[in-house]
Amino acid sequence: MRIVIAEDDALLREGLALLLKAEGLEVAATVGDPAGFLAAVDEHEPDVAIVDVRMPPTHTDEGIVAAVEARRRRPGLAVLVLSAYVEQAFANDLFAVGASGLGYLLKERVGRVEEFLAALHRVAGGGTAVDPEVIGQLLARNRTQDTLGGLSPRELEVLALMAEGLGNTAIAERLVVTEGAVHKHIRNIFAKLGLAPDDRADRRVTAVLRYLGR
Amino acid sequence: MACGCRLVWHIVTAVRRPTAWVRGQVRAAVVAVGRLATGLATSAVALGTLLLAIVVVLPAAHLALRAVRSAADRERARLSRWGPRLPGPGPVPAGLRAALSDPFVRRELAWLPFHALGGFLIGVLGLTLPLYAAEDLTFPLYYRLLRPEDGAPGVGWWWRIEGLHDALLVALTGLGWLVLAVAAGPLLSRIQAAPGRRLLSPPPGSDLSLRVAELTATRAAALDAHAVELRRIERSLHDGAQNRLVAVTVLLGAARRALGRDPARADEILGQAQDAAELALGELRTVVRGILPPVLDDHGLAGALDGLAAGCAVPCRVEVDVAPRCAASVEATTYFVVAEALTNVVKHSGATEVAVTVRRYGDRLRVAVEDDGRGGAEEGLGSGLAGIRRRVEAYDGRLTLASPPGGPTRMRVELPCGS
Repeated sequence: MRIVIAEDDALLREGLALLLKAEGLEVAATVGDPAGFLAAVDEHEPDVAIVDVRMPPTHTDEGIVAAVEARRRRPGLAVLVLSAYVEQAFANDLFAVGASGLGYLLKERVGRVEEFLAALHRVAGGGTAVDPEVIGQLLARNRTQDTLGGLSPRELEVLALMAEGLGNTAIAERLVVTEGAVHKHIRNIFAKLGLAPDDRADRRVTAVLRYLGR
Repeated sequence: MACGCRLVWHIVTAVRRPTAWVRGQVRAAVVAVGRLATGLATSAVALGTLLLAIVVVLPAAHLALRAVRSAADRERARLSRWGPRLPGPGPVPAGLRAALSDPFVRRELAWLPFHALGGFLIGVLGLTLPLYAAEDLTFPLYYRLLRPEDGAPGVGWWWRIEGLHDALLVALTGLGWLVLAVAAGPLLSRIQAAPGRRLLSPPPGSDLSLRVAELTATRAAALDAHAVELRRIERSLHDGAQNRLVAVTVLLGAARRALGRDPARADEILGQAQDAAELALGELRTVVRGILPPVLDDHGLAGALDGLAAGCAVPCRVEVDVAPRCAASVEATTYFVVAEALTNVVKHSGATEVAVTVRRYGDRLRVAVEDDGRGGAEEGLGSGLAGIRRRVEAYDGRLTLASPPGGPTRMRVELPCGS
């Protein structure tokens, strides 16, 4: 897996590269600004780009703009967006046109290396990774609006993991249950929320996010 | 009439003697050219004078207006002590045109001749009366020391003093002076104060509306400064401590993964993580200091500014005389103003020396930062001056900057003490 890292903080950029290389992944280039990022994507043709949201010159959403442009130039490119803050509203925008090959995680998730690597591989494989923080915000909002009243606590857990982008196997591992049990929970959830069942994780994510973010 | 006659004469001459008429016209034209030439010469002199006036007098004119303001402020303070308060309008607006259209300045200019001449004469008169009274009343006590032809004070040399009888008469005049002084004194004082009372008060009507406009503007500036401040803190937290801490977690994660495979490598990564954590702490300290320097609480403005001076790359003299202490927010603003100004001095001025003076005058705190650098400082050149102005105006203070090309640069800030 070839990776390009775009992050303006030098220490973080090198730390991230160090960690990924230690895991045997190929870091093709590390860059600190959007222009350098686009040039690196053109030059190295990576499978995944890890992109910081706030980069020079204005430190607002340069990373997102650059990621969108990179995906336009290289349609198969998977992008994992890292940010110091995550906002549910922002996630909605990001995943509005489809969640395949897209991830949106808090920067510090990188420290939980196994989970981070799993998310990275998921995104690289066309899946989705949504930060638990985003899901938490969404669930909290839906709880106050009482639109999730029909779900059992276990179903809520499954819903959260599903919204993060985890597949059935991964959910089963996390919750230490069988895959069959997960499958059943998911069917119930879709039925209770009135959504059409879907086995593809990334489409499930968009459906759930859309439902929660209404 | 004369013109009509001349016209008639022209017509008559032109008809009767054409050559003479033409000759006359030519002569007139030659004379006119000569006159135009000399006119041009004097107009050149006038133009030169005008340019000279613009170059030499205009900069001095603003100085003069400031001197007038200073004199007027003294008079305002004097009058405020024994009558309705006359609020001072603050510094003269920058720029001669703005200054001359300022109603306060205009009224001060009108006041100046009244007070300079009338006020002076009345003052002399008012002080002379009681002086004569005292001298004449005590005259019998010391008249023997004087020659008879010296006369008596306030009476004149034409009155020869021949003995105690005359001296007692002089004392009687002294009584007259005294009565006059007592009767006229207050009246004279009121007359002397009248131009000031009338012309140094805020222009009618403009007072409240000016104040409202100013408060509205400074309130907006305050909110603006507040938002800018929050953004600055957010930015420094995000770019600094937060990123460092993220790096710490990333490195810790990497170290844990390396632990099983290569303990020596893990130790190395842990070392990096520790460095990053220390950096984070350092940056947090900077941010905290930027929000409200703890040193202000512990050592007051003097201690805090001494600390700034000690850390300044350009040799810096600090003089602080602030007793009693000002409100904490004012001290913090002063601290930032000085910190920002010193940063400017180090970055832009090329100065070899800088002096910081902070003094309290009544309920105003005056801050001056002066360097011997190359001058030419302007707001909006990324110099942080706009930021200083926002902060100062947010506290209803004033900032004036004098930085001619070639230096020196002198920044003055005046803040209400708020205590």
